[in-house]
Formats: sequence, C-alpha cells, structure tokens
Amino acid sequence: MSVAIPLDLTLPVPSLADGKAEERALVVAAQNGSSDAFAALVRLHQRRAYAVCRAIVLTHEDAEDAVQEGFLHAFKALDRFLPDQPFGAWLYRIMANASLDLVRRRKVRDADELPDTIAMPFRDPGESDELRRRLSQALTTLSDRQRSVIVLHDVEGFTHGEIGGMLGIPEGTARSDLHHARAALRRILKDVRSDL
Amino acid sequence: MTDIRLHSNDDDEVVRGLRSLYAAPAGDGYWNELEARIMARVADVELGWWTELDRWVRPALAAAAILLLAASIAMFRAHEAENEIAVDSMLSSPTVPVSTGIRPALQDDREARIRFLFGSNR
Repeated sequence: MSVAIPLDLTLPVPSLADGKAEERALVVAAQNGSSDAFAALVRLHQRRAYAVCRAIVLTHEDAEDAVQEGFLHAFKALDRFLPDQPFGAWLYRIMANASLDLVRRRKVRDADELPDTIAMPFRDPGESDELRRRLSQALTTLSDRQRSVIVLHDVEGFTHGEIGGMLGIPEGTARSDLHHARAALRRILKDVRSDL
Repeated sequence: MTDIRLHSNDDDEVVRGLRSLYAAPAGDGYWNELEARIMARVADVELGWWTELDRWVRPALAAAAILLLAASIAMFRAHEAENEIAVDSMLSSPTVPVSTGIRPALQDDREARIRFLFGSNR
C-alpha cells in the first residue's frame, strides 16, 4: 500500500510541543500500511506503555510481555482508530487491557506464587535499603487494583479519570483506591521509622 | 496531569520509594531492543495466514452479498412466474359447471347416509 504522507522516519522522535501533528501523521501513515511509521509510534510510546503495564503486572518480565502484546493488539486494531482522537489514551487503554489479561492468566496459573513475586524491582535483586524493602512488602498488602492505581497516579502522573478509563473503573473508585493505598503505605512507613 | 499531589514528608518518601521500585529500564539499548522485538512480532503478524484471510474477508463478504441478492431476485422472479402461470391456467381453463362437479359426491354421500340409517334401523 502507498503512504500518503511523506515522513522522514530516520529523524529522532519529535518533542511533545510539535508532537501531536507529527503523531497524527504517523498514525495515518501506519494505517496506510507503513511499518516504519508504526515503528516510530512504538519508539514514541514504548516507555510510557511500559510504565502503564509495569504498574499493573507484577514483574518486569510480565511488563515486557504485556507491552509487546499491547502493541500487537494496537497494530491489529489500528484501522479502527480515528486519527482525531488522542492516540496515547487509546494505546494506554490497550496496554492496560493487555496487562490485566496477563495478570488474570498468571493468577489462574500460579495462584500460590503471586505474593512472593509481587512488586519486586527487576534491577535490584539484592535490595538493601530498609525503606524500599518494607515498601515492597507493603505493596503486597494492597489489592492489585490499589497497587496499580497508586503507581499510575503517584509514579506515572495519570489523573483519576485516565486511570479509571484504563482500568475500567469509575473515577471515584480510582480516587478511593488511591486514598486507601496511600494510607496503608503511610502506616508501613511510620512503622519503619519507629523501628529504625 | 496529576490531580492530587502528596505533601507530607511520609508521602514524598513513599513516592520516592515507589519511583525507585517501578523505575523503567534506563539506556537506549534496552528500548531499541524492545522496539526491535515488538516490530519483529508485528512483522510475523503481517505475514501470518490470518492477514491473508483478512485481506479476503471484504471481497468474500461482497461476493456473498451479491450472490444472496441474485438468489433473492431469482426466487422472486420464479415465484412471480409461477403465479402468472397459475392465473393464466385458471383464466384459460374451461368453466366446469358446479352442479356436475359436486352433485355426484353429494349424491354418494346422501345415499351412504340413507343406507346407514336404514341399515341401522333394521
């Protein structure tokens, strides 16, 4: 298929300031069959996509799998995407769904092993810092959804509305989950302080 | 983007801890490799049998719709032709007098009843 819009795909991904028009052009080109344009979209969004997936799944490896699945789903569904809509929001919803699917599959498969693997940092196996160790433990006491909400909000900076859209829950529920998650983590942190 | 920010020191520390736990891999090498893996899977999908199938779905649906339409028209015309033939045959056939058509049957029936009544009385 021919690509209607000429794009210099060898250039680095554009900054956010002029990124919207460029992104729209990339989406249209990808919809017209340009795999280079789709690669540019991957380059543009993969870090944020990873962050969304990482907030929902339990390990770095699962996040990688979910990102790949998510981009595959997005590629297959690209012709149904309307270029006037925000591509990021659409893509991150797909990423969240891919992650939730993966979590469901994992739960069915290794239900007994989950508490041990939850929220462990992938690059820091020999974690020495007491706070981080306690924080990792504290995260295991949260529900999957509360953990996802607090990470998406406090680490990634998504709004309650965006989080609700991604996780398929009302905005108020996201707000309440965040409140409970923070309270639980704050409690743990106080315990750490009193122990030290 | 974020609607509520944390203010207390405890919360700041929690956020710092969370950021450190959930930090994305640094370094372009990792991301280039991930992009390559994603695009390799996309290429597999592009070359997969279902893509070929997908390519044929629309023409197949269009062909099926045309066939269905043609079959419907043919059935409608056949039905119309049958009706015309039936009407023509009705109009062209000689009129049969009602009396000759019905009387023998009535007579037979009447005779049977009479025979039955007389027979049962005996």
